[in-house]
Amino acid sequence: MSAPPLRMALPSKGMEEETIAFLRACGLPVDRSNPRQYRARVSTLPDVEVTFQRAGDIFAEVDDGSVDLGITGYDVVAEFRREDDQVNVLLPELGYGRCSLVLAAPEAWIDVSSVHDLSEVAASIRAAGRDLRIATKYPNLTRQFLYDHGVNYFSLLESSGALEAAPALGSADLIADITSSGVTLRENRLKTVAGGTILHSEACLIGNRAALGRSAHKLENTRLMLEAMEAYLRARPYLSVTANVEGGTAETVARRVIAHTDLAGLQGPTIARVFPKSADDDADWYAVTVIVPRDRLQDAVDALRRAGAADITATQLSYVFQSKAWSYEALLRTIQAPDE
Amino acid sequence: MENLEIQRVRGTNDVLPEERLLQEEALARLGEVFALYGYAPIDPPVLESTDLFLRKAGEEIAARMYSFTHWNRNLCLRPEFTASIIRAYVNHLQDRPLPVRLRYAGPTFRYEKPGLVRHRQFTEVGVECIGAEGAAADAEVLAVARHGLDAMHVAGARFVVGHLGAVFELLAQLGMPARAQSLVIGVMDHLSRAPGEAERVVERLAAMLGAGEERDSGDDGGLAELLRSFGPEGAARVAGDLLERANFSLSGGSRSPSEIVERLLLKWHRPDPTPALRRAVDFIGELRSVAGPPMEALPALRRVLADFGLHDGPVREVEAALEYFDAYTGTSLDLRVDLSLARGLRYYTGLVFEVYDEDGNQIAGGGRYDDLVRALGGRAPTPACGFSFGLERLLAAVQRTAPVATPDPLVSALLVPVEAADYGEVAALAAELRRGGIAVEVDVRFRGMKANLRHADRRHIPIVLALGERERAEGVVALRDMSAFDEARVARGEVVGAVLARVRAGTRAEAG
Repeated sequence: MSAPPLRMALPSKGMEEETIAFLRACGLPVDRSNPRQYRARVSTLPDVEVTFQRAGDIFAEVDDGSVDLGITGYDVVAEFRREDDQVNVLLPELGYGRCSLVLAAPEAWIDVSSVHDLSEVAASIRAAGRDLRIATKYPNLTRQFLYDHGVNYFSLLESSGALEAAPALGSADLIADITSSGVTLRENRLKTVAGGTILHSEACLIGNRAALGRSAHKLENTRLMLEAMEAYLRARPYLSVTANVEGGTAETVARRVIAHTDLAGLQGPTIARVFPKSADDDADWYAVTVIVPRDRLQDAVDALRRAGAADITATQLSYVFQSKAWSYEALLRTIQAPDE
Repeated sequence: MENLEIQRVRGTNDVLPEERLLQEEALARLGEVFALYGYAPIDPPVLESTDLFLRKAGEEIAARMYSFTHWNRNLCLRPEFTASIIRAYVNHLQDRPLPVRLRYAGPTFRYEKPGLVRHRQFTEVGVECIGAEGAAADAEVLAVARHGLDAMHVAGARFVVGHLGAVFELLAQLGMPARAQSLVIGVMDHLSRAPGEAERVVERLAAMLGAGEERDSGDDGGLAELLRSFGPEGAARVAGDLLERANFSLSGGSRSPSEIVERLLLKWHRPDPTPALRRAVDFIGELRSVAGPPMEALPALRRVLADFGLHDGPVREVEAALEYFDAYTGTSLDLRVDLSLARGLRYYTGLVFEVYDEDGNQIAGGGRYDDLVRALGGRAPTPACGFSFGLERLLAAVQRTAPVATPDPLVSALLVPVEAADYGEVAALAAELRRGGIAVEVDVRFRGMKANLRHADRRHIPIVLALGERERAEGVVALRDMSAFDEARVARGEVVGAVLARVRAGTRAEAG
């Protein structure tokens, strides 16, 4: 009998397309023969079985071991976490699905601009014998945030429907909800309050440490996925920039490049001799390669030009592997010493 | 394979027999001490309305309570006793002659990061003296705490005595609103521990109080002046109209348009809280810097209070209480006066104190809370004070300074029926011995004599009494003394006397 496959839950709706694109970019393409099916495979890892579920359910699925790995929003993980859960966050920031959990008040509350205002309003509503009512799908995060910010008198309405409408309908005073652009809030005549961001969230990878610890086969497949994801995430902010620089020796070129830029690559510039096509070209050319953060590309180009460069090319790095996959090492440590 | 074992909840403890025996002993001793001062026992429920503790216990306790909604009621596991005791007093005892002296012991719960000496369920053992103001009652409570420490043989305890009156007076003098005052009291202990953080604390509190944000909003001030010129009701109407025209619907929701506009006007005219906060934090720093033994601290504190234009009432109260406290024992004591001591809870109004063991762990704390009875619905203003020990921490301190061994063995004799048919006779003998005050256990598993002797040996039971058909026929009991390895046949009527004699001899040998 072959070992059971590694089961991974991916979010349906909302984050589905971004998740599939992320996995494809990691070299882990999800092969979903029929888009209406809720099962799929990763074509490069035959022993990984993929299911699609609601993002909000994935934490519980991973926690109870129905699946071994899951990708969901960090907001879900933060809300459902328990001290005694079985869930490890293997990669906290997958770089997509970004959003914030915010407190939003009616625009008409023109006297409220900060969380401090809310604490005063809560106290005065309380003095009138009522509670500030807050509708949310995130009662744990919201309660803790309010307590931490001195808002003590409130009642939470745990609601799963369209929260934005609650203040207008009069069923709540405030909402604590996820927003990425703020458009929905504005359409519902709500505004965020200063200092009222409860959580920044993005997609993350979680795993059941007991289930992974029990099966060497699952653990190995997890390692392969973590290697690919980590290398992709590490590479993504960087470009590889190559320029041809004229100079006497590789050392003089290196000195010039280092003198002109602080963009010395991940480990200093790589310099290689260029052999000209025609023999009568007697200048010595060197190819200089540096790795630079994407947002500093123009700085790098300018600096290389100052160092005498011509013909500069920039390409996106696909993967950067280090000596180890650190997220996998971290997972191994918690499997070996679960009580830390 | 699936593990069916269920683990205890994090931060809680299973108090196993050896430790629980020590706890019971401590609870009994402390209860006796409290009773010597006339404190009567009371036992309020563990489960209370969340509201009880939000009313006065302070803001940050809310975040550390085990609170939950059960069928739409907000309930919690009590995070401390005092509020519960006062609620019970208000509910039932207001007609009793004052002072009402009450003692209690039981579990309390706080959701905190568990540590070596901090657990999420812990036991408070303490007293409340309700209906007495002034230094004599404060001194009595201090004396009860001291007496409790002596009864437990805790060596090297340190008392720290403070008084919140000075800080309250300064905050009132600065005109600070209630929430700001509460925030300042909340950071006192932190400031005491980390005096270098003063400026950071001022900034953080100012931000929490909304400093700066109003001034960012341009010429709001001019609009505020204009609105103000319409008078309070006019302003609300004009502002409401303007907003209505701008398509802001102020109606609906929990707040009326006039409430919103009123609060806006108020907010526009609020002064920047930073200078007052800075002065309060400076003052707390000064209090901290002159803390020390009473002889040095009291005169220095008088100077600090005078410098800040405050009355020396709090210092006089501490001085008087310490004088009375001295009179209780006369012996010297490691005691510091530190008026920057705040304690975690927000209901204290006067003298407060904490007791630390040699390693610096807090083992007791308490103080005066003159407003709590009224805040919880009491008919008349009723001053009160009290304190409690943390039982687990107290026992940890006892074990470090003067370890106490668990009593061993728990029983003096093991009674063995040789056959099932002998059980009735053995049970009758056991009853006789127990009437004589001797703890015995009966073999209820009908194991052989050899197994029973091994059991007695492992459990350190000094005497084994066996009864079989032969013994019954002869009217005797076989008595084996486990330490002497001798076996005697004792007449049935003399067994109680023989066991008693051996138990006494054993106790004497141990004591000698």
